[in-house]
Amino acid sequence: MLNIIEGASGDRVRMVTKMTRSPRSTDPIRYSESMAKLRHHRPSPRHRRPQQRRRWRVPPFLAGKAHPSKSRLWLVWAILVAIFLGLGVRLFHLQVRNAIAEEPPPVIANTTLPRRAIEDRNGNLLALDRPVYELYAHPHLFERSLADMAAALAPVLDRPPASILAQLSSAPSGIRLASDLSQTKADRVAALKSDGLETIRHQARLYPQAELMAGVVGFVNADRLGQGGVEASQEILLRPRATDPYFRDDLRVRLTLDARLQRVARKILQETVTRVGAKRGALLAMDARDGAMLAWVVEPSFDPNRYNETDLERLKNWAISDWYEPGSTFKPLNVAIALETGAARPDDSFYDAGRIQIGEWPVQNFDYNFAGARGPQTVTEILRDSSNVGMVRLMQEVDRQAYYEWLQKLGIGDRTGIDLPFEISGQLKSEEQFVYSPIEAATAAFGQGFTLTPIQMLQLQAILANGGYKVTPYTLVGLFDSRGRQRWQGDRGDRERIFSETTTRQVIDMMEEVVRDGTGTAAQIPGYRIAGKTGTAQKVNPNTGSYSTSASIVSFVGILPAEDPRYVVLAVIDEPDGGTGGSVAAPAVRSLIEALIAIENIPPSAIAEE
Amino acid sequence: MLHKSLTRFHWRYWSRPWQEIDWWLLAIPIVLTLFGGAIVRSVQANWDDSDWWQHWLTGGIGVVLALAIARWRYEILVQWQWIIFAITNLSLVAVMAIGTTAKGAQRWIGIGGFNLQPSEFAKLGMIICLAALLEGKTAAKLPALIKALLVVSVPWGLVFIQPDLGTSLVFGAIALGMLYWANANPGWLILMVSPLVGAILYAVWLPGWIAWLVLMAAIAALSLPWRLAGTIAAVTANGLSGWLGIQLWGLLKDYQKDRIVMFLNPDKDPLGGGYHLIQSRIAIGAGELWGRGWGQGTQTQGGFIPEQHTDFIFSAIGEELGFVGCVAIVFAFWLICLRLVIIAQNAKDNFGSLLAIGVLSMLVFQVVTNISMTIGLAPVTGIPLPWLSYGKSALLTNFIAIGLVESVANHRQRLKF
Repeated sequence: MLNIIEGASGDRVRMVTKMTRSPRSTDPIRYSESMAKLRHHRPSPRHRRPQQRRRWRVPPFLAGKAHPSKSRLWLVWAILVAIFLGLGVRLFHLQVRNAIAEEPPPVIANTTLPRRAIEDRNGNLLALDRPVYELYAHPHLFERSLADMAAALAPVLDRPPASILAQLSSAPSGIRLASDLSQTKADRVAALKSDGLETIRHQARLYPQAELMAGVVGFVNADRLGQGGVEASQEILLRPRATDPYFRDDLRVRLTLDARLQRVARKILQETVTRVGAKRGALLAMDARDGAMLAWVVEPSFDPNRYNETDLERLKNWAISDWYEPGSTFKPLNVAIALETGAARPDDSFYDAGRIQIGEWPVQNFDYNFAGARGPQTVTEILRDSSNVGMVRLMQEVDRQAYYEWLQKLGIGDRTGIDLPFEISGQLKSEEQFVYSPIEAATAAFGQGFTLTPIQMLQLQAILANGGYKVTPYTLVGLFDSRGRQRWQGDRGDRERIFSETTTRQVIDMMEEVVRDGTGTAAQIPGYRIAGKTGTAQKVNPNTGSYSTSASIVSFVGILPAEDPRYVVLAVIDEPDGGTGGSVAAPAVRSLIEALIAIENIPPSAIAEE
Repeated sequence: MLHKSLTRFHWRYWSRPWQEIDWWLLAIPIVLTLFGGAIVRSVQANWDDSDWWQHWLTGGIGVVLALAIARWRYEILVQWQWIIFAITNLSLVAVMAIGTTAKGAQRWIGIGGFNLQPSEFAKLGMIICLAALLEGKTAAKLPALIKALLVVSVPWGLVFIQPDLGTSLVFGAIALGMLYWANANPGWLILMVSPLVGAILYAVWLPGWIAWLVLMAAIAALSLPWRLAGTIAAVTANGLSGWLGIQLWGLLKDYQKDRIVMFLNPDKDPLGGGYHLIQSRIAIGAGELWGRGWGQGTQTQGGFIPEQHTDFIFSAIGEELGFVGCVAIVFAFWLICLRLVIIAQNAKDNFGSLLAIGVLSMLVFQVVTNISMTIGLAPVTGIPLPWLSYGKSALLTNFIAIGLVESVANHRQRLKF
């Protein structure tokens, strides 16, 4: 409270004055300083102030000294203490006492706000929302005859007037004439200026690339909820969170895929699958340095614009949702394990008898019938010729317990953790069975007896390509605004070191031998050093439970450039009518690598090495 | 030795004009500003914005301004009160004429790439005008109170029709605080805000509304000079407030209605109007005692909370620094309030004392409504958290306000003639 009376100051004022000054006098150093200041440098207020007064021309009429009454002051204090204590108590309640993290709110479809668009890494649109219109007719409100109206609507709806007329005659009101009129057509309906025609606007998802990206991008259902691919896994990112109706957001979800590469990949895969009459196929390309997926096509594919007309089995992205026995494409990883554990060196030799007996099971090379026994073979030769017996001998050098632990460390039996939904984990035998039954380790040596998904095979090959790190494959780059500036970046999984760089270098050199002079010569590209490995795996016949004699799954993995590996390309073709990984899958990988070279501007190896 | 004494001499020489200022009051806002920039940076870690840097730069300019103002004698402002009043109102009119529209309201004037928000600076204009007005004649008499209210109602009205609900509420808080300090009868102040309470009670709980009417009648009878007329007026105002409330409700923009209703039940529309409130509460709750660490908040880093570097910055503090960080911030604000009250008590004249209380009211209201909004105790009103929220106009305003109060502290010695 202010009193205009000039008077003695109360106790409180004096106390406060003391408070503001006390630190200076309790601290001896400061105290002496301030005394010195008083003595030498600071002119006494009496001398200083009048001088300042003249300079600033202080108004002479300001009223008396402020002098608040105790009761008013107490109220101010009480209010201040109460509200700040209140905030503290609420915070304590929220953060300490009741600190169970609340569940985020459930995702509820909102049809009024557009979903964010999805684009490829160059900004090409893969999925976007656009307004579409439902057209309802209420004939009882018409001002003209039904026949006239049918004739007027016919050119807009692209339907014969007779069928429209039949529909209009069916009910007095609420007839749905069309469900997805475009903006221009809705405008033409509005131009008829007729009562009794009603257009209802809503958002519809459009996939301009149709089948091209279906496996990764996915689709939304009638409730506009993502049901597959990125549309499902990134539901939260795709949904703009409006705080008020004025909130506009032009962000797009950007993917690592390249639409150009994707288009080439799809063409190659379609041709291959048709040529060999295969059941299905997958063709994938990855940047091994961080796990970014560059191309990802599966056949058969589907049109996400018409997902409801598609067979359910086709809607799944089998490269993450189905497993297979990898076969020989897994051999380079076994070699890496053997080298890393010190069980063998690259130039060690192992005796390849062409056919051996492990317990009651015979194991033979795929070419035993015409090649017979090869005799002593170096590790490089074993890999080059894809010798099963040689691999069994090599992996017998590794302690079975240690071997099993290495397979677990590679992630066999786990998911890769890719940012796409519905990933399944592969299968690995139990530790007991693997360690005590010699046949398990023997079959694992040539990539049978356990399963993984194509994406996991790609991840494993990437370990060899990037110098020994297990990276998590991913498809999401982040959120970008309409000007192409990055506004948010997705999480990248951790890198985990698996093999030493020496080991991976040695294995890559061996894999290069496969393409130069082994089973993978079909993948050669003049001027480029490419490492690779073929695979032709037996499939288990689901009816008999044993390996089928006819059905196989062939694959080829290519890594380039071999002098400084960065890209991994994998083709998996399921149940071709004959053929091997080298003859069916390797040419597909070579074609995709050619496109990759053009798009990524990869220099020829000869030039790169000079 | 010589060097040492030289530097000491210089320090004394340069600091002399600020000898009497309150260093706590200057230091805490500077620390808060630095901290605010760090949090803005953490919020935007995944984004390529550099707002945190701008925050520090603006803060630096603010500190320089505050020190310059602290040197000046604040008494001069009394002579300038009508000029300041005119500038304040003109800037508020200008923003409506040439301002930029954002989120359904016109708030900014672009001057050379810098977006000025006149309603922020208008708070200071109002504090100065009101202090000057009440300096000569305190609000102990009803005519003086009414005169003060009339003067304040001009800028208040201009802000309200922008519409900037948040700032108009700050204006109300400033006026109430300063009138109270200027000896206005507390009963009158209660009567002033009573129609607002009446309107809410009418809509929510009718018996409460009737009890409120009786209470207001009693207060009017006890405090107003013309007992009968005053009582009738007070009861009529509160009685009408129910109807008036519905009319006022109609005046609010849609988004303002959403915000007010959502606060009462945010889970009703978790993706729409209630989104902010729920996400903010989740983020703060997730911080627990020690927080998730700077740059580690999953809600914060996931970009789940829009406007988190401005109005909702407290939720980022809550998640990343936990209860400990929140309490430290609240305590810092409390310390500022403590210094402001002390300066108000020790000021040599009413004008200075009222300036300090005006700034106190402004800060307390903003801090409390902002923090309450992030922890689910108040509706979303668009009031920034002083010194922490990113926003250049608000940051400068707050530093200038500190400069004014420092001037009061600096020149608290009475002149000896």
